[in-house]
Amino acid sequence: MSEDIIYLDYAASTPVDPRVYERMCEVSQSAYANPSSTHAAGRLTHEVIGRAAEQLGGLLNVSPETLIWTSGATESDNLAIAGGARYRAHRGKHIVTMRTEHKAVTDVFEMLAQEGFDVTWVDADSRGLLAPDVFAAALRDDTQFVSIMFVNNETGVIQDIEALGAICRERDILFHVDGAQAVGKVPIDLASLPVDLLSLTGHKFYGPKGIGALYIADRPGCHVAPILFGGGQQRRIRPGTLPTDLIAGLGMAAEIAAGGIDDDLAHLSELRDVLWNGIREIDGISLNGDPDGFPGILNVSVEDIEGESLLFALEPICAATGSACNSKVQEPSYVLRALGRTDMQAQSAIRFSVGRPTTIEEVEFAAGRYREAVARLRQLAPDEVA
Amino acid sequence: MSADPYSARVRDLFAAPAHAGDAAGGEAVYVADQDVRLRLTATAADGTIEVLRFRAWGCPHVIAATEAACAALEGRPVTDLENYTAADVMQNLPVPVEKTGRILVIEDAVRSLGQRFRDRT
Repeated sequence: MSEDIIYLDYAASTPVDPRVYERMCEVSQSAYANPSSTHAAGRLTHEVIGRAAEQLGGLLNVSPETLIWTSGATESDNLAIAGGARYRAHRGKHIVTMRTEHKAVTDVFEMLAQEGFDVTWVDADSRGLLAPDVFAAALRDDTQFVSIMFVNNETGVIQDIEALGAICRERDILFHVDGAQAVGKVPIDLASLPVDLLSLTGHKFYGPKGIGALYIADRPGCHVAPILFGGGQQRRIRPGTLPTDLIAGLGMAAEIAAGGIDDDLAHLSELRDVLWNGIREIDGISLNGDPDGFPGILNVSVEDIEGESLLFALEPICAATGSACNSKVQEPSYVLRALGRTDMQAQSAIRFSVGRPTTIEEVEFAAGRYREAVARLRQLAPDEVA
Repeated sequence: MSADPYSARVRDLFAAPAHAGDAAGGEAVYVADQDVRLRLTATAADGTIEVLRFRAWGCPHVIAATEAACAALEGRPVTDLENYTAADVMQNLPVPVEKTGRILVIEDAVRSLGQRFRDRT
């Protein structure tokens, strides 16, 4: 990446760790056979995949056999939600999720609603947290499937997965967790957490893009119907030839994360504090999310500033708007609107996300650039009347 | 991969808008629409625009386009204001099609300023 870029968008994607890259290069040359083949070369590839499953299983404290490889979190979410809800449909068609979920979740719920499922969208509080009693009140006798994200991708809010999962377990409701922003970043012990399905992706924690996994708990009634067809791989839950080098990379990323989550969190907390302390005195600034949330994400809004111009004025800092904007016209973030932010607040939101390689100097620079940009755009803006 | 939505010209105009500010004692208009808030002020002498300044709240394309409009119109006859069109801006400044409505706000503001001058005379 160019040296004049300051990358503060680690929630969108992370660079591949050099150790991951090394492992992928090695595997791409040495384990190229189809892992479904029973000859010696195929068995070698099969062993490489098995090792990666052990590494990822070690990070999550689960058996490798509970993991299904996918192309990433979007596919894992689709498989878990569409596959899980359909698998349980004969028992009931009421399904529950939050308004602040990622599109990879909400769009699947919308699709299931078209199929005849009855969807309840539960609301978060102003910080983005889902209270267990609010959640419990949304459940019904025919509720069969729930999906709640672990760490919110826009605000970094961490849900009380243990409490929410316990409520589901009591009622034998299939409980899916979108862990795309959590796996490899916060400690997750699936041996003790009451989670049935967990989606993850490699590129959010220094692994390669194009590879993810779905955890399916080994307990009665916990299963998903396939959404892809074409072979017997992975117990027919997710057919297709496995990308051995990508899987090996994900496994290595998981092993690295498992050995350093506490250090990573301490580093991210320091970075976030420096960044927030550098901008918190700006008139009209507000924090979107929970101060006790994941420290890798800092989402802020500021009064009376146009978000796209703010992001543009921040260059060479690479951050994200709180909007659904890319090159199109901005639309205020539906996540922030769901937390009660006004359109004006939501459209000005910037999500800074820091990572393992981020330095104190970079976030100090970012804070300074943010202060300058806000001051400049305010100076440029007209008063309300001529 | 996302293409860069900002041309080099938009980047230059946004970074250094030479016509940002106020023309002291001049005619003024304020328009707010389409996620744009725009104030134009101008002074004129002998039917010619002497100083044209703007203040804007909007996306980078709006700020760049307003700066371009001010630069193009300063020194021109006041009567040019009422004939100004968004197409004049977009000829030299690529604007995404979904933002053309915002450029029309600039057209409205410029024409409104021309009307002010005409009403005064």
